Amino acid sequence: MGNKKDFGWYACCIALFLIILPLGNVLGFVSGNTISLWGRYFCFAIVALGVDLIWGYTGILSMCQAFFFCLGGYSVAMHIVLRGATALGINGIPMPDFMAWNQVESLPFFWVPFQSFGLAVVLGLLIPAAFALVFGYFIFRSRIRGVYMAIITQALALAMWLIFLRNETMLGGTNGLTDFKTLLGLSLSTPGVKLGLYLLSLLTLGIAFWLSTKLVDSKFGKVLQAIRDSESRTSYTAYRVMHYKLAIFIVAALLAAVAGMLYAPQTGIITPGRMDVRASVEMVMWVAIGGRGKLKGAILGSLIVNFLYSICTSLFPDSWLFILGFLFIITVLYFDKGLLGMLETVVAKLGRMRKPAAEPTGREVMQP
Amino acid sequence: MNCIQKVWLVILLSIGMGRGAIAQQADSISIRVAAVLNPPNDTARSQALRYLAAQKDPATFPLLAAINDKKLYTLDGKPVTTGEGETSGGKEVFTVFYLYPQNKPAATKLPAEQLQKVEISRSERLILNVVLPYLNLTSHDPQKRIMAYGQLVDAKDTGKIALLEKALKQETDPGALTAGREVLFQLKLNETASEHQAKAYIDSLDQNWGENVGLILKNYAEKGNVVSARAYAAEKVKSLESLQGRIEKAQNLFSGISLGSILILIALGLAIVYGLAGIINMAHGEFLMIGAYTTYCMQSLLIETLGVKSDLYFWVSLPASFVVAGVFGLVLEKLVIRHLYARPLESLLATWGVSLIMVQTARSIFGDLTAVKAPAFLAGGWQLMPHLVLPFNRLFIIGLTIVVVSLTYLMLYRSRLGIRIRAVTQNRTMSACLGVETRRVDAITFFLGSGLAGLAGCAMTLIGNVVPDMGQTYIVDSFLVVVTGGVGKIAGAIVSGLGIGFLTKVLESFYEAVYGKVLILALIVIFLQFKPRGLFPDKGRIAED
Repeated sequence: MGNKKDFGWYACCIALFLIILPLGNVLGFVSGNTISLWGRYFCFAIVALGVDLIWGYTGILSMCQAFFFCLGGYSVAMHIVLRGATALGINGIPMPDFMAWNQVESLPFFWVPFQSFGLAVVLGLLIPAAFALVFGYFIFRSRIRGVYMAIITQALALAMWLIFLRNETMLGGTNGLTDFKTLLGLSLSTPGVKLGLYLLSLLTLGIAFWLSTKLVDSKFGKVLQAIRDSESRTSYTAYRVMHYKLAIFIVAALLAAVAGMLYAPQTGIITPGRMDVRASVEMVMWVAIGGRGKLKGAILGSLIVNFLYSICTSLFPDSWLFILGFLFIITVLYFDKGLLGMLETVVAKLGRMRKPAAEPTGREVMQP
Repeated sequence: MNCIQKVWLVILLSIGMGRGAIAQQADSISIRVAAVLNPPNDTARSQALRYLAAQKDPATFPLLAAINDKKLYTLDGKPVTTGEGETSGGKEVFTVFYLYPQNKPAATKLPAEQLQKVEISRSERLILNVVLPYLNLTSHDPQKRIMAYGQLVDAKDTGKIALLEKALKQETDPGALTAGREVLFQLKLNETASEHQAKAYIDSLDQNWGENVGLILKNYAEKGNVVSARAYAAEKVKSLESLQGRIEKAQNLFSGISLGSILILIALGLAIVYGLAGIINMAHGEFLMIGAYTTYCMQSLLIETLGVKSDLYFWVSLPASFVVAGVFGLVLEKLVIRHLYARPLESLLATWGVSLIMVQTARSIFGDLTAVKAPAFLAGGWQLMPHLVLPFNRLFIIGLTIVVVSLTYLMLYRSRLGIRIRAVTQNRTMSACLGVETRRVDAITFFLGSGLAGLAGCAMTLIGNVVPDMGQTYIVDSFLVVVTGGVGKIAGAIVSGLGIGFLTKVLESFYEAVYGKVLILALIVIFLQFKPRGLFPDKGRIAED
């Protein structure tokens, strides 16, 4: 019963995002900006999947996902900027213009690997993963959980944001990295490349969604949910809670990093503003608004909130923070299960039939 | 005319009773001054001014400065100038300064009509150009005098040492005296050719311990006239620098303590509320902001609207910021928080939303930046020794923190309300069974906690600007204080607040502020490895799930 309806939803989404929007773009109905915009929303949805895995399914409130997102974004951005670099360092290696303005003599050592695209991608995944591993190890080892975890990760996000803001860390300071020209020899400003990145983001989102559903339905996923519901009992039944938490922390960080990598070339700029504490909290809120503990809810929430943001900032620029604030409060107070939960309740009431409350994930769909 | 002649006589007599050559010189100056005020013929005034300008006698500088400012008047024949004007009884009256022979303010303030303006033409004023750089040597403002002394260093004038010595004889302000002496010793040191004298001047410079002594001695050590005294200067520089290093450390320690006190004030309310109700209040920093804006409003209300020109507004603001922030907290509790008890993660998100709304509201009401004038009684500082000044505003904040923490302690451990709060913190259900109105206790606690943050905000106006997102700067830090201190414990908040504030400042003196912050975070994470539940954890074996 539910499967058929789910199938209808998926068909709608695929028709809209995979066929109508790209086709419209090719035929000229849909502007390149709209395509880029939705491409970016898909990136946010990928992050939201990670947030949902770690918060919705494991109950760990991590407030530094935006930092991992930016680690991915910066690594790709560094590669692109290096390719477009015109200034020459003392040793003849090209370096980005902002370094020349800051009187840097030659390319800093940690920029060197980013000259190759492959290394940039690998590092963009490896650095966040390693970061999550080390930081997570120390945090989970000392059984920091719940609110303490949220506060510590928030402090991490704050500290990293401050570091990226500095000029001497050679990451562009407040202005971030911008002026992106080409990626793998393709000009980033052409409509074709924009459409390609859009489709790539959509595809990645699909794969990430499919893998995440697999993950939460596996035994591993069940243990995660057990940890969420009662951590002590899970550990009493001889599961190594810390290993599970650490693993999911890394997975969430990786999802965020992948999203960041896709995000940077589509926006054309990446600044530390993307990784401040508020950005991380907003990512958590997408999931809360969409429906925590449901992967579809995470995607729905991130798409809707960001779509709303785009509309509101162009229509009533000053009111966005009010709207977001009220959304936070109302969602938490009255719609504990988020939009998806509300939708299900409404559907259930309309159809006058009771559905089992658990297992909202659509596991059959998206399989070939 | 008759009257003027009398003044003449008075001046001549008073000066004439002086001694020898100086008296004679003063005598001739007095004649010229009189000629300026009341020239017998067309050229007499320019001649007199030329003479006065050439003499460069500090005693005449106030008069010449008044001429230069076009504010020379006579009052009963004596040369005077006017200072600040103010309205009293519907008339504008001015402070009047006598200029010559003595430079001193008159006893009463006078309206402008009682003064006769002395008109001096532009060409006559131009004569004074040669002395213009020195006129401020006798200014009423010590800061201007200090600047005038400093300008003498590079002046190309052979008589400047004598001039400076004369000016310093009249100097009363200790800061300006130090600055002036420094210039004097520097000039003498640069002129002297004898090693003995050079060393003596270096010693004097060292003892005088002015602002630039390090630089002066360092320059001398490199290219001083007397080669044999250079090493001596270098030695002095070294000892001065080590002394200054120690003073800097003391200063850092002090600002660490004052930053810590602010953190304590914020974290105290946070810790109590979290311990009691399991609420993570991300909007707690916004109560700080409310307290600061209350102070700002009180200042505008009392000073601008009611015209009370005293520090009264600050004393009113202290309780007002407590009450206003507390009432806002109460409203927030009724509307939002009450539904979120014991759901810390949800409360964190909801209050984050509240904080967004509050910051945006403040921004649309007050704009981006407002500043509160620090009250006059807190200006300046307590000088422990030269160059080690503890600012009164920071001392006040520390004092306020001590008072507030003691009151909170008394409230929690010596009052009926306190025993209820502690009971609910320990076991909510049991307390409810025993007849404690837990909802009321929650509301009161929230009021108190928010009020404490408001008080902290009022104190913050003493050391910084009032901006809409000022709370967010402190909120993460204060949560770290709560985490390291242990939940709901006053002692924890105090120790870790002081510790974190202190560490921040100490690390900032070694590294940049940012890296200091990162290091502190690392230290906290390491600390939590050993004490996962903070410095003062709850004792007990209640299962956590």
